Amino acid sequence: MRTCSRNSLLGVVGLGIVAAAGCKAERVATPSADAQAAGKLRVTLVSASTGGGAVAAASTGSGWGTLKGRFAFVGDPGTAKPLLADKDTEVCSKAGMKLLDRSLLVDPSSKGLANVVVFARKTTRVKEPLPENPTGASLVFDQKQCEFLSPVFAARVGQPIDVKNSDPIGHNTNVSGSDFNQLIPAGGSTTYVPKAETGMPTMVTCNVHPWMKAYMVFRKDGYVAVTAADGSFTIPDLPAGEPLEFQVWHERSTGPNGALGLDNADLKWTPKGRFQITLEPDQVKDIGTLEVPASAIGT
Amino acid sequence: MPHASMMRSAMHRHPVTIIAILGLCLLATGCGQTPPAYFRPNMVEATKQRLTPDQEKQVATVLLAMFGTPDEPVCMPETGLDEAKLRLAAGPVRSDIVGRKNGLYREHCAHCHGVTGDALGPTAAFLNPYPRDYRPGVFKFKSTERADKPTHTDLVRLLHNGVPGTSMPSFALLPSAQVEALAEYVKYLSIRGETELTLMRAFFELDDEAQGKLPETREFLVDETLTPIAEKWKAAADAQIQVPPMPADIDLVASIAKGKELFYGDKANCVKCHGVTGLGDGQANDYDDWNKAIVEIGKEISSGSAKARETSTSGMSPDELSEHRAQLAWIEKFGRVLDGDALEPRTIPPRNLRHGIYRGGRRPLDLYYRIHAGINGAPMPAAKGTVPPEEIWHIVNYIRSLPYELDGELGADKPMLAKDRF
Amino acid sequence: MNRLSGIFWSLLFLAVPVLGVATFAIAPAIDVWLPKDVSEHGPAIDGLFYFILALTGVVFIATEVLLFWFLWKYDAANGDRPATYIHGSHTLEVVWTIIPAATLLFLAIYQMNTWADVKMRRPAMAPSVEVVARQFEWRLRYPGRDGTLGTPDDLFLVNDLHVPVDEDFLVQLKSMDVLHSFFLPNLRIKQDAVPGMKIRVWFKATETGQFDIVCAELCGWGHYKMKGRVTVESREDFDQWLESQYARQNATQPEADPSTAVARTE
Repeated sequence: MRTCSRNSLLGVVGLGIVAAAGCKAERVATPSADAQAAGKLRVTLVSASTGGGAVAAASTGSGWGTLKGRFAFVGDPGTAKPLLADKDTEVCSKAGMKLLDRSLLVDPSSKGLANVVVFARKTTRVKEPLPENPTGASLVFDQKQCEFLSPVFAARVGQPIDVKNSDPIGHNTNVSGSDFNQLIPAGGSTTYVPKAETGMPTMVTCNVHPWMKAYMVFRKDGYVAVTAADGSFTIPDLPAGEPLEFQVWHERSTGPNGALGLDNADLKWTPKGRFQITLEPDQVKDIGTLEVPASAIGT
Repeated sequence: MPHASMMRSAMHRHPVTIIAILGLCLLATGCGQTPPAYFRPNMVEATKQRLTPDQEKQVATVLLAMFGTPDEPVCMPETGLDEAKLRLAAGPVRSDIVGRKNGLYREHCAHCHGVTGDALGPTAAFLNPYPRDYRPGVFKFKSTERADKPTHTDLVRLLHNGVPGTSMPSFALLPSAQVEALAEYVKYLSIRGETELTLMRAFFELDDEAQGKLPETREFLVDETLTPIAEKWKAAADAQIQVPPMPADIDLVASIAKGKELFYGDKANCVKCHGVTGLGDGQANDYDDWNKAIVEIGKEISSGSAKARETSTSGMSPDELSEHRAQLAWIEKFGRVLDGDALEPRTIPPRNLRHGIYRGGRRPLDLYYRIHAGINGAPMPAAKGTVPPEEIWHIVNYIRSLPYELDGELGADKPMLAKDRF
Repeated sequence: MNRLSGIFWSLLFLAVPVLGVATFAIAPAIDVWLPKDVSEHGPAIDGLFYFILALTGVVFIATEVLLFWFLWKYDAANGDRPATYIHGSHTLEVVWTIIPAATLLFLAIYQMNTWADVKMRRPAMAPSVEVVARQFEWRLRYPGRDGTLGTPDDLFLVNDLHVPVDEDFLVQLKSMDVLHSFFLPNLRIKQDAVPGMKIRVWFKATETGQFDIVCAELCGWGHYKMKGRVTVESREDFDQWLESQYARQNATQPEADPSTAVARTE
C-alpha cells in the first residue's frame, strides 16, 4: 500500500532529524579524574609536612669550566618578511626603510644561527663574585627606529636593566608574564629589575607599535648565553665536576615551548631541547658546530 | 475536510507505528537527570604543553584532591579562603536548612563565566567584550600595582558596581553576605585555575627520571605550587597603590589644560592609542592577554600545518615518520580544542574616552589607578615612574572633561559638545 | 448513566464561576492581590481596576450561572422535547451589541482623565533623573548640584533609584539597546523604554519604603533578573544620600575603612 510506505518513510526521516538534533559536535575527550586516588592524595596533602623533601644534590666538584659552541643552520632560511609598520611612519619607516622580521637570522657566510638561547637548568654553585652581566653584553635594552635593538636579551635575576628609548617618539615596553609594562618617553629610560626566573624566554612587545617584538630570559645563576650573529656562544665559569643539563631555545623552533631538539646522541640531546655535559676544572669544552636542520624550525 | 479524515484513517490503520515513532521521539530527547556539574580542564594549555592523556588525568586527579568539585569545594588552609563562604556559593541553586540561598555562583555567574571560571559559559560567546577568564589569575580593574592581585574590596566593589559598558551587571541589590560569598568563590576559582596552569607547565620542567609524572608530594603540590599563588592573593591588600592626594585648592581649568598637553605629548603618549580625537581610534590591532594567547596558538598551528602539508613523507625513516604523524595529530587535536574550548579571538580597541563610560569605575581615584599602573592583561601601559603623580592628576582631570569638551570650531555661535560632533 | 453524566458536566461548568469568584474573594487575604500602592495617582488607577472588575464580574457570574442552568435543565437525558430551530432574533442581537458597546464607550470616557493625569499632564519641571534601560540593568543619572542633566557634575548609579517622598518626580526614560519596560509596581507606573525615544514618566510617591523596579518587556536572556530598587525617603534623607554618593563618585583617596567601600542599604 503506497500510503503505508510513504508514512513509514516520513516517520523514519522525522526520527532521523530528531535523533540528529540530539547529537552535538564531538569535543575533544577529556580524561576524568581518578576519585579514589584523589581521596588518598588529599589525606597526604592535609597531613602536616613530613619533612625530608628532595635533598639538595651535594656538590660533587670544584673548579670552574667553560662551555663553547656554535649553531649552524642547514638549509635555505628564505628571505625575511617585512613587518607591517603602519604607525609613526616618519620615524618607523624613515626614508622608506622597511623593518624586517628577525625571527630567523642566519649569517650568509658562516651559516651561523643567531639568537639561540642556551642556559643551565640547575647548578649547585655559582662562581662569586657574580659578573656584571652574564652574556658579556651590556645591560641596556634599547629601542630605535621602532625596533628593539636586542632581539633576544638575557640577564640575571636581580640585575638592574636600563630600558631605553632612543627614538623621538614614545614607546612602552611590555614584558609579558611580569609586572613590567611601562611607558618610556622619547629619549628617556627607566630601570627594570627582574624579580623571577623566566623559565623559557618570555616575549617583549610595544603596545603602541604592535609589530615590535623581542624576547627576554632571566636566570637566577646567570648561566645563560645568546648566540651571536655567527651562531657562536660561550658560557664561562660553570661549576665543574657535576653533570650539567642545558636547555636550548629558539624563537621559531617547532619543539615544545620553543625548545630546540636536535639529533645528537653524544650530548644526549632530548626532544625537550636539553643536552648534558660534565666539565673538568679549567676545561674549555667546545661542543663544536651543532647543525640545526630546517625541519626543526617552523615558519 | 479530506485532510483530517485522511489523518484519522492513517491513525486507525497504523496505530502501532505512529505510537512507536512518537515514543522514540520522546526517548530521543533523553531521559534521566542532568549530570552533575564538573570542572572543565584547561584543554588549551594541556594541548599546548603536549600532555599525554595520563598526564592530563594526573592533573585532574591532583586538582580534585586539592580543590574538590563544583558541588563540593575543598578549601585547603594554605589558600586562606573562608570555607563557609565557598559552601554558600558552590553547588546547585537550593536553600539550606536555615533557608539561606546556596548555589549563588551557579545562579548569578556560571552562565557567562562558566562553572570552572573559564569564561566558556553558554552565553559567553555572544558577549562583547568576553567575560573574564579567572584561570590565569589576571584581573584588570583593581587598586593594586600592575601584576598584583585585586584586594577583596576591589572584588566586592566590582560586584557592586558591575562593569559599565560591558555585560557584567551590578549586584548592588544582593545582600552583602551573598556578595562576599561570590567574591570568595571567584578567588577560589582563580587559585584553582592558576594551580592548574602551573601544574601543566611543570611537566616541561621535569627531569627524565620523573618519567612524565609530577611528584605527588606535599612539598611540590602545596609548598611549591599552591602556596606561592595563594600568597599573592593574601599580599594584595598590602600592594595597594599609594595615591598622593589631589591638592584641594587645585585650579581645575589650568589642570585640565595641562592634562590636555600631557595627553597629546610624548611623555604619556595617550593619543597614540586613544587617538587625537579621544575616540579610541589610534590603533585597532592589538589583543589583550587572553585573546593574544589564542592568536599566538592559532598562528603556530596554521604555520605548523602548512609546513606539515608541504613536507613529503617519502624518504623518511620510521622514526621520522612516526614523529611527523604525531605532529599532525597534535595539530589536528589543537584545532579541535580551539573550536570547542576557546572563544574566537577579538582585538581590544583602546577606550573611547568621549563616552564617559569607564569600566573600572568613574571616580578620579579609579582613573588614577588605571593610568598609574596601566591595566593588567591589557595593552594599557603603566605611567608610574614616567609621569609624576601631580601630572597624572592633570591627565585625570582632562579625561573627566573629555565627554563635555566644547568644540568651538564648528560654528562659533553654537558651541557643541565634542562627543556630539563625532 | 446519561443523567449522571449530565449532572457531572453541569456541575463541572458551575465550578468555573464558583472557583473564579472564590479566588478573587480570598486573594487579598493571602497577599495575592494588587501590590501596595504608594503613589498619588494609584488610587485612581486602582479605582478603575475595581470598577471594571465589578462590572465584568457581574456579567461573568450572570452568564456562567445561565450556562449552568441551561446545561442542567436541558440535558438530553432529562428532556424529551426536541430543540427548536429559530432563524435568529434580531432584537436579541441588537440588545447584546448595544449594551456592551455602550459600556465600553462609557469605560473609555470614564478613564480618560486618569490616563491624561498619568501620561499627558506632565509637571513643568526639569527631569529629576534620567533612566537608561540596558540589558540587563537600569542605569541612572541624576542631574547633580546644578540641576541640569548632561553636565560634568552628574551622578551615575545603577539600579538604585532614590525618590523624595511627597514631591513630583520626573523620569526621563531611554533605552541603550532594545525594548525594555520601566515598571514600578508599587507606584503604578509602567512605560516601555523605546530605543531612540526619550519618554517622560512622572509620579508622586506618598509613603516611604523600598520597592521594586522590574522590566516588563522581554529584552533577552537576562530579562527575568533585570531588577532595580526604588527607595522613597524624606527630602532630608534624599539630600544626604545624594551628598554621600557625590563624595563617593569624586573620591580621590580610597576609603579608610574598606568595609564602607560600597554603600549597602539592606
